[in-house]
Amino acid sequence: MIDGLFNSGSMPVLERLVQFTEARHRVLVHDIANLSTPYFKPRDLSPESFQASLRDAIDRRRDGDNPQGSPLEMLDTEDMTFSRDGIKATARHTNEGILFHDENNRDLERIMQHLAENTMAHRMGIQLIRSEVSMLESAIRERV
Amino acid sequence: MSDPLGLIGSQSIRPIAPLNPSVGGGAAGGPNFKDVLLDQIEQVNKLQQDAQASIEDLAAGRRDDASSVMMAQQKAKLAFDMLLQVRNKMVAAYDEIKQMRV
Amino acid sequence: MFGSLDISTSALVAQRTRLEVVSSNIANQSSIYDAKGNYAPFRRRIPVFSPGDPTTGRGEGVHVSRIELDDSPFKMRYEPGHPHANSEGYVAYPNIDSTMEMVNAMDASRAYEANITAAEATKQMIDTSLRLLA
Repeated sequence: MIDGLFNSGSMPVLERLVQFTEARHRVLVHDIANLSTPYFKPRDLSPESFQASLRDAIDRRRDGDNPQGSPLEMLDTEDMTFSRDGIKATARHTNEGILFHDENNRDLERIMQHLAENTMAHRMGIQLIRSEVSMLESAIRERV
Repeated sequence: MSDPLGLIGSQSIRPIAPLNPSVGGGAAGGPNFKDVLLDQIEQVNKLQQDAQASIEDLAAGRRDDASSVMMAQQKAKLAFDMLLQVRNKMVAAYDEIKQMRV
Repeated sequence: MFGSLDISTSALVAQRTRLEVVSSNIANQSSIYDAKGNYAPFRRRIPVFSPGDPTTGRGEGVHVSRIELDDSPFKMRYEPGHPHANSEGYVAYPNIDSTMEMVNAMDASRAYEANITAAEATKQMIDTSLRLLA
């Protein structure tokens, strides 16, 4: 019963989304911190590959007996391992941008864009979880 | 903006039709209250499921029209609140009838 | 999440150190004596960054690993009457080019700003997460 509550609707999906954005935020902040470090190459977690495995997991969940009440089983990928309460991810070099004289291939604008997008995705995830929780709460309390 | 689920234009939150006031309930060919209620519950449930599915698709990158997803979600929430309130009123009415001395 | 703030802070510290080194270079562009009063023209200092943060002991972040001396030749100015002029009348002055230092200073303060923005983003994310409880 309790598991069903936590696995209801899009909650497990949103939970993974928030976990991923937090992990990616860390990587991006590290890139920004090393803007002027010689030989440093920025890394990133690929949102595309995360979303691909998310799509996979969602499809498998939808094909099951209880499409919107069963847990979301994420399969580990080459870069990401999904544990019950977090994502362990290996950041890869992005390999874009010009190689500077100090052999750093920073791309500040791109990184800042990723940072902003990531922050917004995180915010959206949290907001959606919030409204989901408030809906469940009103169902439990029987009050609007 | 695309709206593949057709949630925005949908007229799914129809007001619950007034019950036929004739004695005997549900007579004269009108739908009875139970069916109306069940139908509404089914509709709200459908709205919820569609909203949840659209949120999942948004998170997974299958769609990126965040605004219509939010809209669908809010509509589902509103419909749910509405239904909950109707149910509360009904329970209250039932309680009242139960306490009536004949 | 708080770890991300540590990363940004380590970069702020590193960039500020860099700015301090640049300031000291600019301030000393005519110093030809060392602190003890011996004749030794000031050599340009170069901060060297490397990834990792020794204060938290983690691989993320950045720190100034060394401050190196610039080995390029001193600037020679023709001042025959100077007490430290060489046999041809030239005096060695610090190998500091103020234009280059200014460019470095600007780069450091822009990098500082970028990290402030990143820290702001982190704070915003923590803030949103906190609103889950509200």
